[in-house]
Amino acid sequence: AAVTEEVFPGFQFSVCSYVVSLLRPEIIRELDLPRHGLEILPLDGTFTPMPNGDYLWRVNDHYKTRREIARHSRLDAEAYDEYGKAMIEMGRFVKPILSMTPADPTSRDWKGFLDLLRLGKRFRDLSPGDRYNQVQLMSMSAVDFLDQWFETDVLKATMSASGIIGTFLGVRSPGTAYVLLHHYMGEIDGAFRSWGFARGGTGAISNAIADAAREAGVEIRVKSPIAKILTKNGKATGVALASGEEIFARVVCSSVDPRLTFLKMMDPKELPDDFVEDIERYKFRGSSGKVNLALDGLPEFKSLPGAGAHLRGAISISPSVDYMERAYDDAKYGQVSRRPYIDMVIPSLTDPSVAPPGKHVMSCFVQYAPYNLKGDWDEQREAFGDTVVETISEHAPNLKSIIRHRQVLTPLDLEREFGLSEGNIFQGELTLEQLFFLRPAPGWAQYATPLRNLYMCGSATHPGGGIMGAPGRNAALKLLGDWKKGKVRA
Amino acid sequence: MTGTPDVLVVGGGHNGLVAAAYLAKAGLKPLVLERRKVVGGAAVTEEIHPGFRCSTLAHSGGPLLPRIAADLDLASHGLKTLRPEVRVLALSPEGKHLPLYDDPARTATALGRHSEKDARKYGEFHASLGRIGKMAAPVLSMAPPDLDRTEAGEVWQLLKLGKDFRGLPRRDAYRLLRWGPMAVADLVAEWFETDLLRAAIAARGVYGMLGGPWSAGTGANLLVQAAFEPHSAGPASFVAGGMGALTSALADAARSAGAEIRTGVEVSRIDVRDGKAVGVVLANGERIPARAVVSNADPRRTFLNLLEPTELDPDFSNRIRNYRSSGAVGKVNLALSRLPKFRGLDGDAPAMLAGRIHVGPEIDYLERAFDAAKYGEFSPHPWCDVTIPTVLDPSLAPAGAHVMSVTAQYAPERLREGDWNGRREAFGDAVVKTLAAYAPDLESSILARQVLTPKDLEDVYGLTGGHIFHGEQALDQIFTMRPLLGWARYRTPIAGLYLCGAGTHPGGRVTGGPGANAAREIAADLRRRA
Repeated sequence: AAVTEEVFPGFQFSVCSYVVSLLRPEIIRELDLPRHGLEILPLDGTFTPMPNGDYLWRVNDHYKTRREIARHSRLDAEAYDEYGKAMIEMGRFVKPILSMTPADPTSRDWKGFLDLLRLGKRFRDLSPGDRYNQVQLMSMSAVDFLDQWFETDVLKATMSASGIIGTFLGVRSPGTAYVLLHHYMGEIDGAFRSWGFARGGTGAISNAIADAAREAGVEIRVKSPIAKILTKNGKATGVALASGEEIFARVVCSSVDPRLTFLKMMDPKELPDDFVEDIERYKFRGSSGKVNLALDGLPEFKSLPGAGAHLRGAISISPSVDYMERAYDDAKYGQVSRRPYIDMVIPSLTDPSVAPPGKHVMSCFVQYAPYNLKGDWDEQREAFGDTVVETISEHAPNLKSIIRHRQVLTPLDLEREFGLSEGNIFQGELTLEQLFFLRPAPGWAQYATPLRNLYMCGSATHPGGGIMGAPGRNAALKLLGDWKKGKVRA
Repeated sequence: MTGTPDVLVVGGGHNGLVAAAYLAKAGLKPLVLERRKVVGGAAVTEEIHPGFRCSTLAHSGGPLLPRIAADLDLASHGLKTLRPEVRVLALSPEGKHLPLYDDPARTATALGRHSEKDARKYGEFHASLGRIGKMAAPVLSMAPPDLDRTEAGEVWQLLKLGKDFRGLPRRDAYRLLRWGPMAVADLVAEWFETDLLRAAIAARGVYGMLGGPWSAGTGANLLVQAAFEPHSAGPASFVAGGMGALTSALADAARSAGAEIRTGVEVSRIDVRDGKAVGVVLANGERIPARAVVSNADPRRTFLNLLEPTELDPDFSNRIRNYRSSGAVGKVNLALSRLPKFRGLDGDAPAMLAGRIHVGPEIDYLERAFDAAKYGEFSPHPWCDVTIPTVLDPSLAPAGAHVMSVTAQYAPERLREGDWNGRREAFGDAVVKTLAAYAPDLESSILARQVLTPKDLEDVYGLTGGHIFHGEQALDQIFTMRPLLGWARYRTPIAGLYLCGAGTHPGGRVTGGPGANAAREIAADLRRRA
C-alpha cells in the first residue's frame, strides 16, 4: 500500500499511505536506502482548525508549540513538556520489543519461558513512575490517558486521533492509548516523533527498498498475481500464478494478510482446524477511507487564512473529543461518520514535483468509513466523498471551487485494489488481543506457520502495521535462523 | 472492649466486617466504626415502604468466597443462601425469553429453540470458562505480588499458578490470554449467534463499568467473575432476608470472634503522626488511638478526604486523583402490590423470575445505553438487571405483595445538563418505562418507588463518585494495579494505614475477598512488629 500513482494527468498521489515515520532506522541503515534514492522531507506540525474560529497549531519547534498551547492553557503547556519526556521513556521501553520475535507464554520449552522472564525483568528495571505509565499506556483509552495530563479539549482530541488511526475503536475505547505510543515512536534520523514525506511520494520508499533488494540479489517480478500456494505432504513447495505458471522454491514467505494466505491461497484443509478457526476470527474491520484531491489552488482556512506554513504540515479535523467519539458512534452501527475525523496533507507544497506548477495535491485520510456498512459501498462512494468535502469546507469554504479531480477510496476499494482484507490498512486490527504473541494467531506469532516452509512477513505479524518494515525484517531473521538450523528442509 | 483496640476498621461494609472477623480470629482486637446506623455498607436490607424490605443497593452475592463462609461459620450465624433454578432470564421484546439455568444442559435445551448451533456450543463455553475460572480462583485470595520484593512464599505461589496455567488445555490457556483484553461483544460473537444470549453474557463484562460491550478489556471482567463463580450464566446467589442478612451474619461472626462494632459514628480524619497512622478522630471530636487503621472506604475518600493533603507525596495524591471512580449505575427499588405479568411468560412464572432478570436484548442495545453516558446523559433505555427477591423469600413483603430491585445502567455520575437531584425522578421514569415494555401491568402495581442516583450512592453510602466497585475495574486498575501499581498489597504510603475495601484486589462485588486478604497482611505486619 506504499505506492505513488499518477491518478490524474500531472498529479502524483501517494494513493494509500501518505506519511512516513515508523520505518525502522536499522532498516534504512542496513539497506542503505538513501543511496537507493530515499529522501525524507520533514512534515512540520499539525494544524487543527476549530469551529469557533480559533485553531491549534503544533509544530516541531518545541518552544513555539509550548507558546501555542499556553494560548489555550498555561497548565497544559507545562504538562506538554512532562508528557513528551514520559512518552520518550515509554518509547525506549517498547522499541526493542518491535524487533523481537514474540515469546510464546504457553510454550512448553525453556526458551519461551526465558524470553518471558527477560521481558518481565526489563519491565521490573523501569522506575516505578515509568512502570505506572507503561501499564496505563497498554490498557487505557487515549482520552482517559490524556485526561490525566491535559485540559484543553482540542489538544486532547488531536492527540488522541493518532490512537484510533486504522482501528475500529473510538478515542474513548480502552486500548487506544497503546496506538498513541505506536505512533509516537515515529523516528527519522534518530529524532523521536517526527514525521515526513518521501520525495516523490510514498512509492519512493518502496522503490528504494526494491532497488536495495535487487542489488542484494533479489529478483522482483511485477504483474504476477499469485493464485495458489502449492503444498505437498504438509509443506509449502512454491506458488502457482494466475497465469498458470508454477514456481517452486524451498520457502514461501507471504506478505499478504492471513485471510488471503490461509483461506484464499490454499485449501484450509491443509491446516489444523484450531488454526483455521483462529484465522477466521482474526479481526480486520477496516474503518478508514481515503479521498485524494487534485486542486487548482490552496484551501483557505477561516481560522487562519493565507497560504502559511500551517498548510505544509498535517491538517487535522478533530475539533473536540466528543466530535471524535461521535464519529465512532456512527461507525459502530454501520454508518459513515456524518462528521468524520480527517487528516490531510498537501505534499505538493513540500515537493512540487508531484503536481503541475501552481497546482496541488491534497490527500485526506478519513475515519470512520466502516467496511461493514449498512448499505452498499459502491453506491455510497460518492456520498462518502461529498461528506468529506463538506466537512472540510466548513473550515475552508473555498475548497469546493478549487477541486479539479477527486478520487474516493472506500474500504471496499482498498480490499479490491490493494489486497487489504476488509480494507484494514494494518492487515488486521491493532487491538491488544491481536498484538505480540497473539498476532496473527495464538501460538503462531513467530513468523512460521502450521505449514512447514511457509512463513509470514506482513503487517499481520508482530509488530504490526504502518510503513515500518519491522515484520519483514523480523521474519527474514527468523527464517535465516531456521535455515541455518536445518529446519527448512525440502 | 477493654483497653485500646489494636486495629480500627473505618467503615462497616461487608469487607470491613470480613476484615474485622479475620483480625479477631487472629487474636487482635478490632473496632469497627460505621457512620450509618446499620452495618453492611452497600449490602444492606432496608425498608423502602412500610412492610416492604429490599436489598437497597447490591441485590445478589458476588458470590461470597466459599472459604470465607466456612472460616467464619456464617451458617451458624444465620446465613441462609437461596439458589434459584433459573439463574438468569433474558427477556426478549417479542416474548421469546431465554432462561439460563443452573444446569447447563437445560440451558442448552432452551437455547435449541433459538439456535441449534448455540445449543451445541454452550456446553463447550460453559466448560471452558469453568476450567479457566477454577485455574484462576487462587489469584483471588492472593495479595498481588510486589515486583521488587517478592517473598519466598509468594514466589512458590506464583510458580504453582504458572504450573496450573501450563496445566490448562492449550486452547484454554490461549483463551485466557486473548479474552482479557478483548471487547466482550467480540468474545460472545465468537461463540454465539443468538442476540439474547450474547447480550446476557456480555452484560457481565460491563456491569458497574463506565464502558460498553464494545469497550476493549471488558472480557477481563468476565474472567475475573469466572474466578469467583465459574458458572457461565454468572452469579445468582441470594440471601434469605436480603443482602443485609449476609452482612449481619458477618457482623455476628466478627463480634463472636472478639471484634467490637460501633454504628452511628463518623470518622472525620485518620490521625497521622510522623508518617504513621496512630488512630482516628471522629466527627464529634473524639480521638480513638490504635496500633493500626484499616479503611474500608474507597481509595479516593481514604486518601483525599480522611487524610491531611500534606501527609502524602504529591505524586501519590495525583495518581489517586487520576484513579477512575466515576459511577455508571443507578438503582430503582419498587414495592409492588402483585407480581407483574411478563409478556410471553404466562404459565412459567414465578419460577422463571426467581433469579436475575436481564433486560437488554442485544449488544447494540447495551452499547447505545452506554453511548448516552459518554455524553453525560443517563440512558433513555437503560440496561436493567432485575431481581424480585420475594419470589424465593416472601418474608420481605406482605403476603401476595412483592419487591423488585432494579440495577440500571447507565447513569453517569456527571450529568451534562442539570444535576441528579433534579433528574432523579426522570431517571426513575426511564427505568420503569423500559421495564413496562416487557411487563405492561408493572406501572399499575407500583405502591412505592425508591430511586438511587450515583449522587445518592455517594451521599448516603459513601461511595465516592457513586462507583459501586470503589473504582473502575479496567485493565489498568486491577490486580497489581488496584488501586495503584506499587500499592496493591493493602498497605499505603502511611505506615499503619491499610485498605480493605473493593478498591483493592480482587475488587468489587460482595465477595469478601479484599477484606480477607487485607486482614491476613495486617495480622502478619502486626505480629512482626509485636
